[in-house]
Amino acid sequence: MAIGNRQLAMYVAAALLSLLGIADALYLTIEHITGQSVKCTIISGCSEVLSSRYAVIAGVPLASIGAAAYFTVFSLATLAAFGYRFASTLLTPVVVAMFLVSLWLIYLQAFVIREFCQYCLFSAAVTVMLLVVVLIGLRLRRA
Amino acid sequence: MKRILPFIIILCVLGVALGSAWYLTRTIPGSPNAVAVTNPAPQSPGSPVSQASPSRASVKTGVPGAEPANTRGPVNAPAQLEEFGDFQCPPCGVFHPVLEQMEEEFGDKLRVTFRHFPLVPKHQHALAAASAAEAAGMQGKFWQMHKLIYDHQKDWAQVFDARPIFEGYAKQIGLDIERYKRDIGSEAIVQRIINDGKRAHSLGVSGTPTVFLNGQEVPFESLAPEKLRVLIQKEIASAGK
Repeated sequence: MAIGNRQLAMYVAAALLSLLGIADALYLTIEHITGQSVKCTIISGCSEVLSSRYAVIAGVPLASIGAAAYFTVFSLATLAAFGYRFASTLLTPVVVAMFLVSLWLIYLQAFVIREFCQYCLFSAAVTVMLLVVVLIGLRLRRA
Repeated sequence: MKRILPFIIILCVLGVALGSAWYLTRTIPGSPNAVAVTNPAPQSPGSPVSQASPSRASVKTGVPGAEPANTRGPVNAPAQLEEFGDFQCPPCGVFHPVLEQMEEEFGDKLRVTFRHFPLVPKHQHALAAASAAEAAGMQGKFWQMHKLIYDHQKDWAQVFDARPIFEGYAKQIGLDIERYKRDIGSEAIVQRIINDGKRAHSLGVSGTPTVFLNGQEVPFESLAPEKLRVLIQKEIASAGK
């Protein structure tokens, strides 16, 4: 299936953004696995957030789940850029789900843990940008 | 070719991600895959980790903390748990009732040691809370104060000056207030907190709560009661063999 240049640009942007998300989540996963203390360089609170009980789900570090989610988005965006229709269809719900999870994680940081982690906020920002890009791509697809 | 190109790109990114993760987990010191580094410093006779099995590679000894340590339970209990805590850290407040529950369940099979690791200046009242608990300890009521401070963490964590609240707790548990006021700023108490901090540093503690069970660090995710219970049971069972 052929796609327009603007739509292609959106998928490429989504793929590049998801690479940033992968790097961020992978860093946190490695720090978690190795037991290193994550260095908060802009704001404090990383250790409180990343050592909280919400940082692990059923024994799996949340950051690794995030890395897997970003990799899924990267794969779908790449396939969509090459004209795979199923990928462009799946991309939107996956990103919307990630956005909702990000909202929940920000709520936990703000009201439950009462500390913020810059890497988690960066990940949330990437997800918001992904949502914007994907929604623009969806609009272009329908136009 | 164009049909398989996206899959090649995806596999390349996956390979780079997994490869770099594998490389970094092997090279970062302290990782499970890296060579374990144990501290050869002599053990403190009263230290709970002195009960740990020396055959385990991940058992760390560290330098001694404050002596005598704030402990509860028999010296020869098969499960020796050492917590590095900050009275103002919310996860420590969550862990406090879990530990009380474990002590109740395991009775004289479990010995608990509390070490101070106040995260200052992030937690502005953590040091004052540690000093208050130590001042109570000078009158033999460390654990009563420890309980009150944790149980009411939300009451004092956000106030401007928590010291009057701690003094209120001191009155509540029947301390000699004049002595409490003298002790709380004493060099002896400052030194005890510093000694606990040195021990924490030597063991690689970077956050709170950090818990060691018979000298082995318990992962944070295992501090939930159902998981911690299993770990303690294993230690007790292995000591009985």
